[in-house]
Amino acid sequence: MTLRVLDPTFDGGQATQATVSRLPSLAGRTVGLLDNGKLNVDILLDHVETLLRSQHGVSTVVRLHKPDASRPVPEDVAKGFAACDAVISAVGD
Amino acid sequence: MTQLRSPSYDLADIVAVNDLYHRRGWTDGLPILPPTEELVQACLDATGLAPSAVIGVESVRQRPITAEKVAINAVMAGCLPAYMPVVVAVIKAICQPEFNLHGSTASTGGSAQFIVVNGPIRQRIGLNATHNVLANHSRANACIGRAIRLILINVLGCLPGQLDRSTLGHPGKFSFCIAEDEEDSPWTPLAQQRGISAGMSAVTVMAGESPHQTMNEWTRDPEEIVETFAAEIRHNMLTYSIWAGNYALIVPKQLRDLIATAGWQRRDIQEYVYRSARVVRRDWATVGKKQIVNLGKGADQRFSALRSPDDLLVIAAGGPAGGFGAIIPPWLGSRSQAVTQIIETL
Repeated sequence: MTLRVLDPTFDGGQATQATVSRLPSLAGRTVGLLDNGKLNVDILLDHVETLLRSQHGVSTVVRLHKPDASRPVPEDVAKGFAACDAVISAVGD
Repeated sequence: MTQLRSPSYDLADIVAVNDLYHRRGWTDGLPILPPTEELVQACLDATGLAPSAVIGVESVRQRPITAEKVAINAVMAGCLPAYMPVVVAVIKAICQPEFNLHGSTASTGGSAQFIVVNGPIRQRIGLNATHNVLANHSRANACIGRAIRLILINVLGCLPGQLDRSTLGHPGKFSFCIAEDEEDSPWTPLAQQRGISAGMSAVTVMAGESPHQTMNEWTRDPEEIVETFAAEIRHNMLTYSIWAGNYALIVPKQLRDLIATAGWQRRDIQEYVYRSARVVRRDWATVGKKQIVNLGKGADQRFSALRSPDDLLVIAAGGPAGGFGAIIPPWLGSRSQAVTQIIETL
């Protein structure tokens, strides 16, 4: 006799959010960089910004700061990225 | 029987079930009980909820935790249906914004959900509050705590190295659930102190680091007894995290009796620790951290372990003999706060 057992994992069909499609290219785009407020994140994001501009042709970079690394980004901070084509939420530590 | 929606697998036997579930990363490393439709339905029935009922939502990734998934993971953990009201209450508690579920479970700091159960349900389901209270013994303690871990792994994706970035973690991440010894305590139960009506069952949950055991069997002076706990908190502030928040004290019967005989109430313990568990920035030099002594507001900057006496969760638990106690430090100060939630039974 076999055992019929149930899957314990999250069912994606219950998701309340969906992912957007990937940008075909970053050239000429505006990219947001979210600083999570941890030590050394500025060094990491300075380097990421340099790479985005020099190797991917990103035209504008918007740098914003999250006041608390362990909590969601506040609404007013998130609104600052409204003009961005993409945002990178970085984990400096 | 209501319709369960989760995908199912037909497997030869319990060994095959464990092989598949371990291989897919669906366990904590220990064997699981196969979550058959019958067992899952029995656990679901004990909640009185529909399978699709959302018990809580993890707010950062907006991920709902449904009654069906809670029941499946509870069965895997070994829970009896009678434990389900406690499991459901814990999920509700940790999904409150002040608990900061995402931060406290993803962090390198590696905390676990420390659960304290109060009220009549403790005795109905056989929760242990005495001998070896922080460790093995009762099925209810072990399986309720384990169910929460499996839900985090399977529903929220808290897999070590993936969403769970703990550097070390601690053994409480397998299970970290106790009852308070209300029948042998001089104090009002913890949940009552935190606003729950007498006679109701409730859970109090905090994102806790590993317990630090203390011992003082050489005094009857309540101040000296409590000072040993405060000293361990000060030590934790220096060696681990300076930030103020909920600390739990586990006070065993031997020490409770001495404290009560001397006329101290729970509030006296909270107020003493509030005054005593303080350090100054220069103290960091004594634990190998002199590099940060002159940062912030300088070497004289003062820090308190508690934002107020109410931050201290004083819990009556442990075996009858021995002057052993424990502090359970918060994961990261008040970034995650203890939540007390009523247990609803059918």
